[in-house]
Amino acid sequence: MNIEKRKSELVKEFTPMLRKSTTTSKIWIGFLIAVILVGMYAFYIQLTKGHEVTGMRDNVVWGIYIINFIFFVCLSYSGAFITGILHFFKTPWKNSVLRIVEIVTVLSIVIGPIFILLCIGRLDRLFYLFMYPRIQSPIIWDVIAISTDLIGCFLYLYLTFIPDFAILRDNGEGTPKWRQKLYKSLALGYQDTDSQRERLHKITKTMATMIIAMAIITYSVLAWIFSLTVQPGWNSTIFAPYFIIGGLYSGISVIIIAMYVIRKFYHLDHYIRKVHFIGAGIILLVISLLFGYFTFTEYFARWFSHKGPDINLLNTLFTKYFWEFIFANYIGVLVPIVILFFKKFRTIKSITFAAVIAILGLYFNRYLIIVPTLETPYLPIQDTRPEFIHYSATWIEWALSFTGIAVFILFFILLMRLVPIIPMSGIIDNERNQKGKFNESTKK
Amino acid sequence: MKNKLFKNFTITLFIGFLFSATSLAQETTVDDYRMKFDFNTFKQADNSRLLEVSFIGTNKKDRKDKAPVFEADIEFYNFLNEQEVKLGVAKTDKEGLAQLTLEENQSYLVDEEGYINLKAVFEGTGELDSEEEEIAVKDLYFELDLEEIDSVKTVLLQVYTLDSIKSKVPVEEIDVIFSVGGMLSKMPIEEASVENGEYEFEFPEGIPGDKDGNIDVFVSLEDHDDFANVIQKKTVNWGVLNKIIETESNTLWSEVAPIWMYVVLTILLVGVWSNYIYSFINLLKIKKEGKELESKNKELS
Amino acid sequence: MDDKNTDKNSNNRRKFLKLGLMSSVSAVAGASIISNLVPEEENISSVEKVRLLTPDGKMVEVDADKINKYPEAYVSPAESRKGIPDRHFVMVIDLARCKNARKCVESCQREHKLDYHEEYMKVQLIQNNEQMEPYWFPKPCFHCDEPPCVTVCPTGATFKRTDGIVLVDNERCIGCKFCVTSCPYSARQFNWGHKDKFDDKSQPYSPETSIPGSEGTIMKCDFCPDMLRQGKLPHCAQSCPMGVIYFGDRNEDIVTNGEETVRFSELINDRGGYRHLEHLGTKPNVYYLPPVNRQFPLERGFDVDEEIIERYKDVPYVKELKKQGKL
Repeated sequence: MNIEKRKSELVKEFTPMLRKSTTTSKIWIGFLIAVILVGMYAFYIQLTKGHEVTGMRDNVVWGIYIINFIFFVCLSYSGAFITGILHFFKTPWKNSVLRIVEIVTVLSIVIGPIFILLCIGRLDRLFYLFMYPRIQSPIIWDVIAISTDLIGCFLYLYLTFIPDFAILRDNGEGTPKWRQKLYKSLALGYQDTDSQRERLHKITKTMATMIIAMAIITYSVLAWIFSLTVQPGWNSTIFAPYFIIGGLYSGISVIIIAMYVIRKFYHLDHYIRKVHFIGAGIILLVISLLFGYFTFTEYFARWFSHKGPDINLLNTLFTKYFWEFIFANYIGVLVPIVILFFKKFRTIKSITFAAVIAILGLYFNRYLIIVPTLETPYLPIQDTRPEFIHYSATWIEWALSFTGIAVFILFFILLMRLVPIIPMSGIIDNERNQKGKFNESTKK
Repeated sequence: MKNKLFKNFTITLFIGFLFSATSLAQETTVDDYRMKFDFNTFKQADNSRLLEVSFIGTNKKDRKDKAPVFEADIEFYNFLNEQEVKLGVAKTDKEGLAQLTLEENQSYLVDEEGYINLKAVFEGTGELDSEEEEIAVKDLYFELDLEEIDSVKTVLLQVYTLDSIKSKVPVEEIDVIFSVGGMLSKMPIEEASVENGEYEFEFPEGIPGDKDGNIDVFVSLEDHDDFANVIQKKTVNWGVLNKIIETESNTLWSEVAPIWMYVVLTILLVGVWSNYIYSFINLLKIKKEGKELESKNKELS
Repeated sequence: MDDKNTDKNSNNRRKFLKLGLMSSVSAVAGASIISNLVPEEENISSVEKVRLLTPDGKMVEVDADKINKYPEAYVSPAESRKGIPDRHFVMVIDLARCKNARKCVESCQREHKLDYHEEYMKVQLIQNNEQMEPYWFPKPCFHCDEPPCVTVCPTGATFKRTDGIVLVDNERCIGCKFCVTSCPYSARQFNWGHKDKFDDKSQPYSPETSIPGSEGTIMKCDFCPDMLRQGKLPHCAQSCPMGVIYFGDRNEDIVTNGEETVRFSELINDRGGYRHLEHLGTKPNVYYLPPVNRQFPLERGFDVDEEIIERYKDVPYVKELKKQGKL
């Protein structure tokens, strides 16, 4: 087969996706921008009036912002983890999902720390973190880990983009001038020669190994922010593995949802097939089982050994937060398991539904980890002001949360306009390998 | 119509006056205060004598409202029968205290019974009445000795007055308090009833003292009818060498972290960033190769 | 005709004069009413005034001698990281004598310029279990020897000094609130918004006085090092009418509550002193003497504002009292 001809074919196939701008997408982008504008206004209010406008008060000092931070950063780490692992699988079907996972990784690690910044009282002193760091503090470990991870994920994403930029640059008839220039500069002179390809594969491989290791370490650092304190509900020895499993849980779910949405709106049924959903669904099943197991272990041990502060915490969970608890730890775990366990139920739509339930369940789970512990300290909160006793997020916090999600989706869409969501170089590599295998078998 | 206008006018006027009246009434004058003039004397550890007057007004209606008299001139005299010797003048400070310190070698007029008669006078002004108070005090001497007798740490005290020929006259019965000096206050270690001018007791065990082991031992007499207030002090190095808390370093909560943290962090960061640099260098190599290829292609075509 | 006119004119003139007189007098009266109704502008400046009598019998208001005698006694944030040498401060709180007079809370609030709800020293009502009666529990910051708050601070804004005191430097704090979540005794508070008192520049900021506060930073009990440097007790210990709070130096083994001065080791050992939540390993420097042989019945402590009694509504004993209608 003529590789060059194949490349131009692929470009022709994917170009509409890069340029298409239907009314639905326009409306959708307009809606996202509207949400973002509301969020900017909310941020402005918080900046001028101070943190009083949030629902956080002296006992629950960490609220929705930290929960969003954990959620997004866990998404990112799980994406990095999955990317790294997938890199070492030689299956052809991994190609379709790869870029989706990587983009989820990078976008979440950009959005997550923004939520932490919203929670910091004195943004004008942020650089003190770099001028006067104390390395005994888990927050400094987190700062180092996230900044390192940010650069690593960007680098890795870029490495996977390079061959596609080269293909787009070489087959750019009819593309606007600015796009041509962009592809040319970003492609770094990659001509798909054997030596270049090999070099690229080499560094991609080392990066992939590194990313897996970094994902695990930085994940644990995030969990240690909580488990290295003495508070009831946080001071648990299995927090780091628990967070990793929880992150993978949400990561897989987001990937499934992204696959479903992209497949639907860009008509990529040929590339994103049911086998992908089944594969992701199996992984989701395994992770749900693990997640349910870890959650049960946590709460069972606390309930059984009935230490005073632990029982106080469990009382809060079962009275004030009863429905959230049921949803997060029962529905959120059991529904995906039931759907994915039986072959009959495994349709694309049902798997996506399970993923949605899983994500919501995980979000509630994170909420139940952070907030109830802060509401049941060792020394009882004896106060009359209701906002100091019970945490309820204000519209500003919710607005900024939805803004974060909107930014995520918006940038996802914009990135899909830059480069096709299915890596073309991956398709070519697969076909090249297949042809090579075919040739080999025929030779014999 | 006229009547209404007139009525409104008078009502406004009346209310206006009421308000002004109430606001005027908020100001207090000196007549609302009852003045208190207290005169006391203290013999210090260096045998100097402090004369102190406290001149404070208390609100008759609200006893918590105190207004000290500021910058009032208080004159101190030592008198004997008709003779008066002016000892000095002092101004009251912002707390209403006027203090005058007289050295050890100050000579006083002493009456037959051995009392020094002291008087503090405030000459009245138009608004404040003049005040005067007299006290009679005998000069008392404390001799404090701290010795180790037969390896027992003992505190010895001699209490005496000096008669006209400067010979020691032991005081028959007097109650004193021995205390040990601390940062914020003195801690009593013994309450003693001194008889015949002599007292001794065993110094308690285990008192740490300051960082060099020095302890300030005080003996004091308060509000005695004859002797007013007297205090004497002596320092001795009997402090039990205590365990002064060492500030640890290289802990989780100190400025400098445990060394192993620095080591682990450096290893991890060096590992990761060297990988980034390696990738970056290889990217540059790819770029170079691409450029070479391009220029070669250009040459060919 | 003319007469009528002049009559009319003079009438008009009279009316005009009367109107003018009345309006001016009512204006004056109105002004005095208004000026008395408008509350006197509060002096934001923190310079305290004392009322003194001059010898001429006049009442005057003069600047109080600033307790800290700035600028000579000013301790900058950098200097405040070193402690008072050779000291290690401890506090002993006698739970047998506390009757919720709340003078400690109020004097601390007054001296640190805190609002009504901001309390560095809190008085809680703790009931250990159903069989025991509750007791009033004054709780300052414990200035632990192994403080979890100092460990987790990313910028070193909170630090432990050689004299045992843990302070907060408002100029270094970035407001991440990690220390608030890691303190097991809930001793730290956060300034959630801007308050006018933060703009008071009459004295330079020192972590030893914690004045003025700063928006978006942490504040907490500081054991009043500015008082200690002058040889005076912290404000809470000074103001307690029952002598509940003892304070002193562990190195010289002496603590005092203003009236009594006793040996710290004797006080702890003879009265069964303990530290709260000892098993957490924070090694606090505030010791408690158990509520044995209480000097006052518990109910004396309910002689406070309704709002304050509401705070304790979850204590089982209080619930019982409410059921019986005694509260």
